[in-house]
This record gives sequence, structure tokens and C-alpha cells, in this order.
Amino acid sequence: MNNEKKRHVIPGETIVSGPYRAEQNTVMEGNKIISTSIGLTDVHDGSVRVIPLTGGYYPKDDDLVIGKITSHSAMSWEVNINSCYSGMLPATDVFGRDFSSHSDDLSSKLSKGDLIAARIVNADKTRDPLLTISGRELGKIDSGELINISPSKVARLIGKRGSMIQMIESGSNAQITIGQNGLIVVSCDDSDGLLKAIKAIELVEEKAHVANLTDQISEMLGLKSD
Amino acid sequence: MIKMGGRDTDIVLLDENGIRCDGRKINETRKVSITAGVLKNANGSAYIEFGENKILVGVYGPRDVHPKHLSDTDTGILRCRYHMAPFSVGERKNPAPSRREIEISKVIKEALEPAVMLKQFPRTAVDVFMEVLQADGGTRCAALTGASVALADAGIPMRDLVAGCAAGKAADTVILDVNNEEDQAGQADLPIGYMPNLEKITLLQLDGLLTPDEYKKCIEIGIDGCKQVYEIQKKALQDKYFSKGDDD
Amino acid sequence: MGSSKIIDQLKKNQILELLKEGKRIDGRALDEVRELTIDVGVIPKAEGSARVRLGDTEVVAGVKVQPERPFPDTGDKGMLICTAEILPIAHPTAETGPPQPNVVELARVTDRGIRESGMLDMKQLVLEKDKSVIGVFCDNAVTDHDGNLFDACSYASTAAINSCKIPKYEMQDEKPVKIEGEFTEPPLTTLPISVTMAKIGDYIIVDPNFDESSIMDARITITTNSDGNVVALQKGGHDGFTQDDLIKCAEISVRVGSKIREILKQSSSGVN
Repeated sequence: MNNEKKRHVIPGETIVSGPYRAEQNTVMEGNKIISTSIGLTDVHDGSVRVIPLTGGYYPKDDDLVIGKITSHSAMSWEVNINSCYSGMLPATDVFGRDFSSHSDDLSSKLSKGDLIAARIVNADKTRDPLLTISGRELGKIDSGELINISPSKVARLIGKRGSMIQMIESGSNAQITIGQNGLIVVSCDDSDGLLKAIKAIELVEEKAHVANLTDQISEMLGLKSD
Repeated sequence: MIKMGGRDTDIVLLDENGIRCDGRKINETRKVSITAGVLKNANGSAYIEFGENKILVGVYGPRDVHPKHLSDTDTGILRCRYHMAPFSVGERKNPAPSRREIEISKVIKEALEPAVMLKQFPRTAVDVFMEVLQADGGTRCAALTGASVALADAGIPMRDLVAGCAAGKAADTVILDVNNEEDQAGQADLPIGYMPNLEKITLLQLDGLLTPDEYKKCIEIGIDGCKQVYEIQKKALQDKYFSKGDDD
Repeated sequence: MGSSKIIDQLKKNQILELLKEGKRIDGRALDEVRELTIDVGVIPKAEGSARVRLGDTEVVAGVKVQPERPFPDTGDKGMLICTAEILPIAHPTAETGPPQPNVVELARVTDRGIRESGMLDMKQLVLEKDKSVIGVFCDNAVTDHDGNLFDACSYASTAAINSCKIPKYEMQDEKPVKIEGEFTEPPLTTLPISVTMAKIGDYIIVDPNFDESSIMDARITITTNSDGNVVALQKGGHDGFTQDDLIKCAEISVRVGSKIREILKQSSSGVN
């Protein structure tokens, strides 16, 4: 089977006809595979998918996300993870197994408006996704600037094997934590570096689908091109 | 005073050269322009001008449903609100929703449901809000057209877009895209919503009287109008998503 | 979607830290208004209209003019009614259904600003005393909400009314009949402009955006007319102002208000 050239599609447009597998953001209609999103087609090895250029974040197991505490019950915190589903962080994750709702006060650890870097433990759609903040690089976020980009651009921001984000970090001296949900925290001791990093991230979001984006970012950061 | 079938009117709905009261031919739609992504807060949005109609559409979702009992554990739900601003019509309209707006909201929702795919978002809702800022006949078709673009802009998975256009009858002649004067003084108004790739009609209503032959002609000419409108929808999305910066 | 109303801790700290340096989160000075554009005549079929963009906040106002029966106690005056609505497209937390108290407040403050300034000489909008008068309706629709809806609606209403056309009517058999194609200028006397200020700690900032509004302690909206007189006031928020604050705020509202009045005048020039 031929690997087709990438094409721009909108919902309803036919990508291929015939014996292909319909994968992300596509659906079979008769013997045609049509796109269900605005995006770029990706046809190879007999399967068809569309890389979307818009759309929200849908929780997946093991995703790293940045969340905002919105409320809590006696046993857990409710976390806004920039998705149609709220995340749930159980008190035991922070207080440990001997958590007792009588003696342990949830708001002493995390209160409304606090930001956390968390991992999704269980994204079962019949209830709110479970989160954890016990783990390396997880936990409450005390400093930095929070930026919001479209979740469909996160993959581009990370780049192949992290190449794009590493380039931005080294070019600006900033530390950048990327949530799969489109929320990003940028910290830098130097305010110019902070600004550089933020501008680079905004540029990736704006031009995610442009071919020579890597060069444009490299130039913007003042890095020597090879 | 010229009797044109329908109400008595001073306006010439169709002259001897086959030209309509606004200068169009019988199978010509009004000028349509659509811009996708015009609002900052909404997840998806579109602004459409269909002749003198001006409609702003915003989409939020999928998102939480409150109160919870309205949600569905098996699928996301679609909610639509068609609303006219008080200043959108000739005589100022009370801002409270009228029965007409409630009916149109339902009809548009049912026109979009076959297109949107919400099974992958149980317990959520996708909200479509259509605000008519200026009305000039055919607002429901224009609102439906804008809503499809706004939904795609929001990234809601869809099988197809839905394009809207009305056919009708004035001066005993089947015409395409009925404007306000033709609606008031004409003989029939048939709004249509159509999925162009799947070739299905998802919105259909009739106000007026048509012979079986006229009915067939109206549907034919109306689908053709919808296809023309679809090209404008496509262009709106392509302009926003596929034309920035250097491209492949 | 109440969680969209909760500002994150990082941003809140950022706003407070920057204020200590006399700066704001979007780079503005404390008494600086966001980029303001006013376009009139955006709804050509209405008798008047304006679209205001104040930063990312956007409001469309439409003016409808039509004959009405006068109120029983003011048969010698036309009718003026201003309303405001936050459309559900404007913000994830905007609701449909009967208006919440904050929306009712917005509508009433907008109405008072226009009415108490005497912007339109209502005595000149009478067709037949006690029987038929001209009713002017100015309806504001907020289409995008990034804070300070009070000022956005004030500018949209003033611009729409300032640039509107009053149709000519003649009484036929005791009924007002519109004469097609004939209009008169509205009987304008002044241009009311409101300026909203928020208090955060010890700082007073002008034209708070949504994030600043969500952490403010108190706010005040002051409407002035073309002579620099105060015609309407509304204080809101959970905390209070000192007397000195209030004097400072009035001074700011006259100064900033007159600059905005010039922008508004520019937007309407060449229309009538």
C-alpha cells in the first residue's frame, strides 16, 4: 500500500477508499475513510489517521498534566485539568495510607487555586480520571508562569524525542514543564529568558503546521543553525 | 398594488427579465461570508453574513453538565440555543426566548446531531449558541451553517458539516434563498439543512403551498444552494487553519 | 464550569507582585485603559449601533427607535430604556435563563449612566403629548468577556445613541405613521463616559481585566458627562474604599474619561 502525501482535511472529507484501517480522528463510511477533524492526514502501513489542529484535551493514562485545585471534599480534591472531565486527587495520595478525615485537613496541603503537576492514573470514562502527585517532578507548583496552549499543539511543542522543547530550554535557560493538557509552566531566573521561552512557545502554537517551524524557532532564540 | 400570490405587495418579486427584488436571478444565493474563530473565550466560533443576516455562533464543550440529571452516561449530549438580539429585527424584540426561537433551537439541534460524534464523551455536553445580530430572512439556515463551522473550529468530531439554504416560491416561480421580503410576500419558504459528503438532508421545514412538482424542484435547487454554501464553510476553515505562514 | 472563575495561585501572586512595582500583568500602567476600538453602524438595519472592543472584552449595542405610549406620569417625555445581557457565548460561566444579580446590576448601571446624564433631551421626543412618544431602546449584548463590562457597555451605548437616526413620524388618525426614508438627528446634550476602577490591596487600577477583577477587593464605576460632572456612581465588591480613595477615583474618572470621550467622538464622526 502506498504511503500518501500529507493533506489538509476538514470533517467529512474522504481521505482514502479501500482496505485501510481507520485510526484516530477518522471513521469508515461505506468503503471510504473520512476525516472527523480539521487536520493533517497521515497514511502509512495501511492505516489512516488525522493529526488534529484543534480540539480539547481528553485524559489518557500516564499523561502528565498541570491541574488547578478547584474544591475538595472530605476525601479528595477536585482538579481542573483543562478537560471536559475534572480530575480527582485522593487525599491518601498526599497524606498516605493512614489518612484520616478527622485529623488530616486537606486544605492544609492544597487549597483552591493551587497548581499541581500530576499524572493520570486511571482515565476510565465512567467516572472522573484519578490523579497522583507522588512521583518524580510531580507535586505542587510554587513558582513560574502558567501558559495555556491548544492541547493539539503539545506534541509539536515537545518535538521528535523532545527535540523542540530541549532547543527552547537551552536557548532561553528556562525550565519548562509541559502538561499534555495544554497547560505549561515556565520558570527562569532571568526575565529575558522567561520572555524568550514564552514567545517561542506561542510561536509553536501559532505555526504548528508550518514546515520550517524548527528553523524559525531556532532563529528567534538566536541559536546558530547547523 | 401587485398581487404576487401570498400577500399583496408593492414590491416586484420577479420582473419580466426573471430578476428578483434584490437583483438576483431565481437560482442565485445571496452573498455569504464566514469567518472561523472570532471569539476569545468560546472553544469554537464563527461569524456568518448571509445576505443581510449577521449571526455570531459560539461553541463550548465538551463540558460538564449541570444539573447532573440532564447528562447521559453513555454519550455526550448536544444543546443548541438560537436567539435573536432585541435590535436584530424591525420592531424591537423582547430579549426573553420566544416560542419561535425555542422551536428553531430544537430543529437546528436535530439537524446537527447526525453530524456530531459525541459517544466518546459520556456525561458531557456540547453547547452551541447562535446569536442573530441582524435578521433578513433565512436566519435558521444561516445559523445552522455558522454552527457547523463553529463546531469544527472547536474540534468536536464530526462526520460531515451541515450546510443550510432555503428554497421557496414567489410569483409562482421556484426560487433559491428566500430573503425577508420574499418570505413576507411570497408563496412558500422551504429551509433545508444538508450534509454534502454523506448526501443527507437533516433539516427540512415548509411554510406555504407547493405542488408535488414544485416541491421536487425546491429540494433540488435547495440542495444545490447548500452545496454552494458548503464551499464557503470549507473556505472559512481553510483560511483559519491552513494558510498561515509558509506552507507545504 | 465554576472552576473557570477560580484564578490560579501563580497568576494571583504575579498580579500582586507586579502591583508593588507599579506594573500590571499585561504591561499596563495602573491608570491605563486597554486598547479600545469603537465601530458604529455595525447593524445597519437598526436605527443605531456600535461595537466596542476593550482589550478582549467585546460588546455590541443596538438602538431601536419606535413609537410608544408614554408612561402615565411623563406624557411630555419620550421613553429611554437601556439593557445589557451577557450572551452565553461570552464566557464559559455565562448562563442562559433569567439574569443573575450581577447581570441585572450591569444593565441597571448602564441605564442609569445614560439616563441621569440627560444624554437625550427626552422632551424633544414627543409626537403627541400624553398619547404618543418616541421610545429609544438601547440593548447591549456582551459577546466576549474579559472584565470591565460596565465601561464596555457604557461606551457601546453612548456611541450607538450618539450615532443613531430618529425616524420621522406624522400622526394620522391619532396613530403615529413612519415616513419612510426621512430621519432626524437625535436631540443630544452630552456624552456620558464611565470609568471603572478596582482596588487591590492599597492600589487602584483602571479598567480591570477578568483576572484582576477576580482578585479585587472593591470596585467603583464613575460616569461623567462632557462638562466633567459626575452623573452616576456604583460601588461594588466585597471590601471598602477610603475617603481619599474616592476623591482620587473621581479625579481619575474625569481625566481618563475625557480621553475616551475623544476616541468615541472620532468613531462617530462622518456618520451623521
